[in-house]
Amino acid sequence: MKPIDLDSMKTTWKNERNFQEHRLSEADIEKFLSAKSKDIGQLFRSGLLIDIVLKSVVGISFVGIMMLFRTNLPVVLISSGILLLLLWTVRYQWLTIGKIPEAPASHPVIRTTLEDKINFYHQHYIKSLYVGALSNSLLILSGMLYYFYFKYGELRPFLWDDYLVLGAVIVLGFVLGAAVQIAQHKFQVKQLESCLREIDEDAISSLTIREQRNKKARMILIFLLALVCGLLILAFFIFR
Amino acid sequence: MTHERTTGDFLELVHRHQSIIHKICFIYSENRSDREDLQQEIILQLWKSFSSFQGNAAFSTWMYRVALNTAINKTRRPGLLIDRSSSPDLPYDPSDSYQFSEEIEILYQAISQLKKVEKAIILLWLEEKSYEEISEAIGITVKNVSVKLVRIRTRLAEIINKLQ
Repeated sequence: MKPIDLDSMKTTWKNERNFQEHRLSEADIEKFLSAKSKDIGQLFRSGLLIDIVLKSVVGISFVGIMMLFRTNLPVVLISSGILLLLLWTVRYQWLTIGKIPEAPASHPVIRTTLEDKINFYHQHYIKSLYVGALSNSLLILSGMLYYFYFKYGELRPFLWDDYLVLGAVIVLGFVLGAAVQIAQHKFQVKQLESCLREIDEDAISSLTIREQRNKKARMILIFLLALVCGLLILAFFIFR
Repeated sequence: MTHERTTGDFLELVHRHQSIIHKICFIYSENRSDREDLQQEIILQLWKSFSSFQGNAAFSTWMYRVALNTAINKTRRPGLLIDRSSSPDLPYDPSDSYQFSEEIEILYQAISQLKKVEKAIILLWLEEKSYEEISEAIGITVKNVSVKLVRIRTRLAEIINKLQ
């Protein structure tokens, strides 16, 4: 087997003419300046901004509900509570935008950049994804209230199975919304985590501990959801 | 007018040092659309950080660090969410834009089998950056750089031997 002289390859690499050619003109470079970034930080920012817009739309729809059902005190009170909740969540998402790690500046260090993004995801963004999933549930609730108003002109008294169906749809909207968003972001964050593992073997332990903690929290959440669904189904069969 | 002058400076500097972008995109891309995406992202990130570039270090060194950072932090999106209509996955074919020597093509094929951070370390080594510069860019100790480099070089030699 012929020994490989990597040092000679280094010289060939440095002197490779193909890389020295000016393939991009200044005009080509300028065109890129107005392009949209596909960085994960931009993905975090877009996700939060979209949720703020969605929550604003839901808020407006609840203002409409308050006006349509102005004689129905419980609906007005619940809508007011939801509006306050929406205001708090919009503020929460807005503050989270401010915590997104900025682009590396004068001395970018690969490890620090990776750590900043991974920590932001685990410490802040994942909570925002749950807060964001609330929009789905509230959108479903407002949609149903509009449906009742335009179909019956009022909110008819609910029977227990109406609460069951409405509750199940609202919970499902929340769970599905959160699950899809988390799966999508997790796919990308895992790639960053694998780079961090590659850089620093010591980081394995801290990452593993965090992964175990997340897994435990996920299992508890799944167990609680299964318990609630089970109880609802049981109630359905007992009181049918 | 300051903005115009700054944009002009930026364009001129990036144009002059664009070989760095080509090398990093060459190493970190699997196909033509990937390469174009990465090229765009690197230039965008350079532009975003340009105002904070103090000029204490050489522009090429700073550019190398930002570009490598961008390449390593670039993540693939889940398959279902990729918009293939705008940028079809064309297989990477060096001959469509580059005419490389056999040695460089073998080196490229070998490096493409390394992990992302390994690629960064070997790239900086190929550029004759010192161990201190590599350790600063990656965020590890000089000793760790030396250990990793030995391992990467051994692995690279094994891959090249298989390829030849």
